[in-house]
Amino acid sequence: MVRGFQELGYVLDRALATAIYLLIKLGKPLLIEGHAGVGKTEVAKVLARLLGAELIRLQCYEGLDVSSAVYEWNYQKQLLAIKIQERTDETVEEKVKHIFGLDFLLERPLLRSIRAANASPVLLVDEIDRSDEAFEAFLLELLSDFQISVPEMGTLRATYRPYVVLTSNRTRELSDALKRRCLYHWIDYPSLEKETKIVHTRLPQIQVELSTQAVRWVQALRQMDLMKPPGVAETLDCVQALSALGKDRLDREAAEETLGCVSKSAEDTAKIKSEGIEKILSQ
Amino acid sequence: MLEEDPGGLAARIVGFCRFAREKGFGAGVTETLDSLTAARTLPSTDREALQFALRSELCSSKEEWDRFEELFEEFWGGNHGRKPRPRLEAQRRQEERSTWALIVNSGNSGPRAEEETKRVSGASLHERLRRADFSEVPQSDQEALERMAERLMKRASFRLSRRLTNSESETQVDLRRTIHRSIGRGGDPVELRYKGKKPQQARLVILLDISGSMSLYSFFLLRFTHALQKHFRKASTFVFSTSLVDITGALRREHLPDAMKRLSRLAAGWTGGTKIGKSLREFNERYARRTLTSDTLFMILSDGWDTGEPAALAAELAAIKRRVKKLVWLNPLLALDDYEPVTQGMAAALPYVDVFAAAHSLDSLLDLEKHLMR
Repeated sequence: MVRGFQELGYVLDRALATAIYLLIKLGKPLLIEGHAGVGKTEVAKVLARLLGAELIRLQCYEGLDVSSAVYEWNYQKQLLAIKIQERTDETVEEKVKHIFGLDFLLERPLLRSIRAANASPVLLVDEIDRSDEAFEAFLLELLSDFQISVPEMGTLRATYRPYVVLTSNRTRELSDALKRRCLYHWIDYPSLEKETKIVHTRLPQIQVELSTQAVRWVQALRQMDLMKPPGVAETLDCVQALSALGKDRLDREAAEETLGCVSKSAEDTAKIKSEGIEKILSQ
Repeated sequence: MLEEDPGGLAARIVGFCRFAREKGFGAGVTETLDSLTAARTLPSTDREALQFALRSELCSSKEEWDRFEELFEEFWGGNHGRKPRPRLEAQRRQEERSTWALIVNSGNSGPRAEEETKRVSGASLHERLRRADFSEVPQSDQEALERMAERLMKRASFRLSRRLTNSESETQVDLRRTIHRSIGRGGDPVELRYKGKKPQQARLVILLDISGSMSLYSFFLLRFTHALQKHFRKASTFVFSTSLVDITGALRREHLPDAMKRLSRLAAGWTGGTKIGKSLREFNERYARRTLTSDTLFMILSDGWDTGEPAALAAELAAIKRRVKKLVWLNPLLALDDYEPVTQGMAAALPYVDVFAAAHSLDSLLDLEKHLMR
């Protein structure tokens, strides 16, 4: 599996490989936590490609509700159907049954994930900590029994259980019930070797010397207690920016020109500059 | 060692789960069974794979994740596993206090006048402590007070966060129920059904004064803000003395000691003295635009001893007042019998303050609930 991920451009360590292996074998959801930009979301994407499965993504946000996450009725179609049925002799009960059928249901990500027709899809619930408690509770039903109840229709069960990956940035503590249902994995910032390897895997065309310098630079910045420490995504951005600018080594000037790739707030930029870019680079 | 004896391995795993449970992990029956299944599914049960698998199964937070390796080593043995030193609760608290003393730079943040206060014990201790002024609690009762504070504040801030939601908002047509109703009328939506909007949580901005004159209170007030921030999703916290520092990120740790450690790093170079006006201007210039909204609750925790210009303080407060829903000023000195808000700073601030309340004891902090709900 490590090799499979590697071929798709994801450097996987043994710990995460074990967790993903258990996710596949036991069918338990996997909750991944970690700092921003360390490749949490990427796990699900690569897993889907590796399994050749469909990736269904649900981006969470505050105020996310059932009608945009699970299902919604197709009201226009329902109104039309009611008009068409007007002249038939069907009883009200029959009409109700008709317009609240599967044909009138708009599938949203969660419902789609349990209605897959021929293979298990990968369901990515991204940034679950951004949704509210009410939605989290709803998600529990799905994650424990892989079923969704629609009041007008009854319960829909999954024929193929989705592989579920949840990610969280820890802006809020998740409920115990949810965490207990999941396997847990914490992704830390990668070590120097691992991060260099990641850059090589993702951007093989970049010179080794330049990418190593950039990785060292970002790793030094992470030690600085910034408000928004740069993640791996920022390292990759920085390396790409350097190569786009035609730089072949990272000096003070180059670091300053690409500072926007690694520092994402005005306070951080000021802090880095006052610390002295040269000094950080020489560490 | 593990591969040779699969039967024994199962027993060991059960034993480990019990061990983990004793150490405070949520390793119940379900987790134990799942761990066994996981171990059985693994293609190779070498030690490392087993450790990774059990870690995925038994951990549910970063804190547990960090502790797991030590725990695993301790149970499964191994030459390189060193025995972890048990960290006593009291020791942890002592550390927290001393970290804080370092941050506020007061050197002597211990309670004054120990001999003046009478020792109390038993059931009355609880009641007395709730009302006691933070600055007058004898050293010996500090621990009990802190424990109590932790528990009560957790509860209070949780209740608060649930109540402070705006429920009075416009309604929108509930198509789902409207259509259900209209079937009997041939699909004409004669009778419209409505649904309310989802309640939104209010925003909370806290400014905590950590100058020398507040040092006897600021440790508890920080604990209070930590508890509040935990339950408000949209909360920002700042500390100030002569200048302002954003500590929202540092406080967003599950455990206060971790938060303290981060704070002590941020705190380098802070000095005594209070310049509320200047700190508020800094706030208005740098943070107001992204933190203040019309449903914001703005809270200042300070004794109002300002060495700056009162007119400047008033001007900054007026600017804040215009943008927020409610401005609350908590002053620990308010509980003193002879206290009058005559310090120039406080007098200048009062016209803009919606709620002016005490913050010297646990009870007064818990009372805040009442003020905020109105």
